[in-house]
Amino acid sequence: MTSRITGAQPGARAIEIRDLHKYFGDNEVLKGIDFHVDQGQVVCVIGPSGSGKSTLLRCVNRLEEPTSGTILVEGVNVIDPEVDLDEIRSRIGMVFQSFNLFPHLTVMRNLTIAQNRVLRRGKDEAVEIARRNLEKVGLAGKEDAYPAHLSGGQQQRVAIARALSMDPDMMLFDEPTSSLDPELVGDVLEVMRDLATDGMTMMVVTHEMRFARDVGDKVVFMDGGVIVEEGAPLDVLRNPQHERTKAFLSKVL
Amino acid sequence: MRRTTRHKVNLGVLYTVLLAVVLLLVLLADWAAVQENFFDPEIAKSLWPEIITVGAKNTILYTLVAFFGGLALAVVLALMRLSPIAPYRWLATAYIEFFRGLPALLVIIASGFAIPIAFGWRPPGGIVGAGLAALIVVASAYIAETLRAGIQAVPKGQTEAARSLGMSGPRTTIFIVLPQALRIVIPPLTNEFVLLIKDTSLLAIIGVAVGERELTTLARDELSLNSNSTPLIAAAVMYLVITLPLTQLVAALERKQQRAR
Ligand SMILES: Nc1ncnc2c1ncn2[C@@H]1O[C@H](COP(=O)(O)OP(=O)(O)OP(=O)(O)O)[C@@H](O)[C@H]1O
Ligand SMILES: [Mg+2]
Repeated sequence: MTSRITGAQPGARAIEIRDLHKYFGDNEVLKGIDFHVDQGQVVCVIGPSGSGKSTLLRCVNRLEEPTSGTILVEGVNVIDPEVDLDEIRSRIGMVFQSFNLFPHLTVMRNLTIAQNRVLRRGKDEAVEIARRNLEKVGLAGKEDAYPAHLSGGQQQRVAIARALSMDPDMMLFDEPTSSLDPELVGDVLEVMRDLATDGMTMMVVTHEMRFARDVGDKVVFMDGGVIVEEGAPLDVLRNPQHERTKAFLSKVL
Repeated sequence: MRRTTRHKVNLGVLYTVLLAVVLLLVLLADWAAVQENFFDPEIAKSLWPEIITVGAKNTILYTLVAFFGGLALAVVLALMRLSPIAPYRWLATAYIEFFRGLPALLVIIASGFAIPIAFGWRPPGGIVGAGLAALIVVASAYIAETLRAGIQAVPKGQTEAARSLGMSGPRTTIFIVLPQALRIVIPPLTNEFVLLIKDTSLLAIIGVAVGERELTTLARDELSLNSNSTPLIAAAVMYLVITLPLTQLVAALERKQQRAR
């Protein structure tokens, strides 16, 4: 995994969030979040529906506009109005619950369009990189298919390959397997597992507790817009300290 | 009575009424007068080939100009309408509401007579150019609303995915949103096209040169010339030959989109 940013070293902060608040109108959805992901770390965010997990994740690349606080991505404050947001976003891969592949483009074009338009890569290079990533997610040969002709699991793997084709420094996942049929979940998790093994920095909102336990370096439990508890997966999942964590885990495990 | 029996009786009554009306029409109508005034073969022949080479040709030409001119303007209006910058939104909304609220005929008269007289404006392409400009202006207001609906029908996740890859706002619009929006609006746009075909007949209000007449102008001139309505029927047939396949096409496209859902 080559980082496009020079000087990014394992152990350094990939994402650092300080005192993040986010309102939707009068509704305070994030109530002072402090949080970080180190280079090469896999951090899993769990918590009940409506607790603010997606909002937190989406603040990192500013798909949601934070109300106040600091969000450093590789040391750069993404809330700074001077910052080149598109450039930062191109270094942060994002995978959505609903895949969001571009339905009017072939799989290959889905993987090359941002390489061409954002990274200014030539056609041959972009295609070459796209092929490599399709292979990585187990979908070599699907280059000419349109998204509608793929299963949900295949679409999500294409979405991962699309994000990887930008050679991102880190990846954000928002419940990547939640809209998949149970028998298709495994393939996607396996791809994510491989990514983690390759050393990719990952922030994963998920309900897959086994994935969090086996792959995560850290688990963060959110409820009501705050981080209630965080720590090593086995500690948080097996031996939660807070009542709210216990109540949540007793429901999902 | 059982339900099926009653149903049959009802149907029987309806058919009887229909038959009675048709019979009455056939008996009462003055068929000789109808034939003489509307279906005179000599006059029909005399329309040939101008009805195609001038009338139908100009109707189609004017429709194409008004449609694609309107479409180009409408893309700008729709994007303004959805702009985060408020004054752009206000301008576009004002324009759209203004021209959708006026009869197209009024706009054509304004563009063809009122504005040239008041400001000494010499419309490019003469009086036809002025009429077409009016049609473009009016069509763009309707098409802009159709486009706006299409753009808004593209799921928000599409924009988010593109932006998360680092694509800029304008690139996202051009490469991701607009192509999908256009696909969504092809059936309603085809409908706009059919409406425009018929609206070109409004150009009959502004007198144009002989070679510039579209179907309705041509038919009206021939009608006065011959004191006979056969040209009207001929024009009607021409319109239907053009519009019916298009409305069928719209229906087919809509069925196809329904299936793709
Ligand atoms: N665009 C929005 N406008 C208004 N309120 C919003 C918006 N997005 C989220 N919210 C609210 O913010 C709160 C947190 O939402 P969020 O999607 O972050 O929760 P979540 O933890 O991801 O839940 P889930 O597990 O259901 O995805 C919820 O109460 C939600 O209703
Ligand atoms: Mg969520």
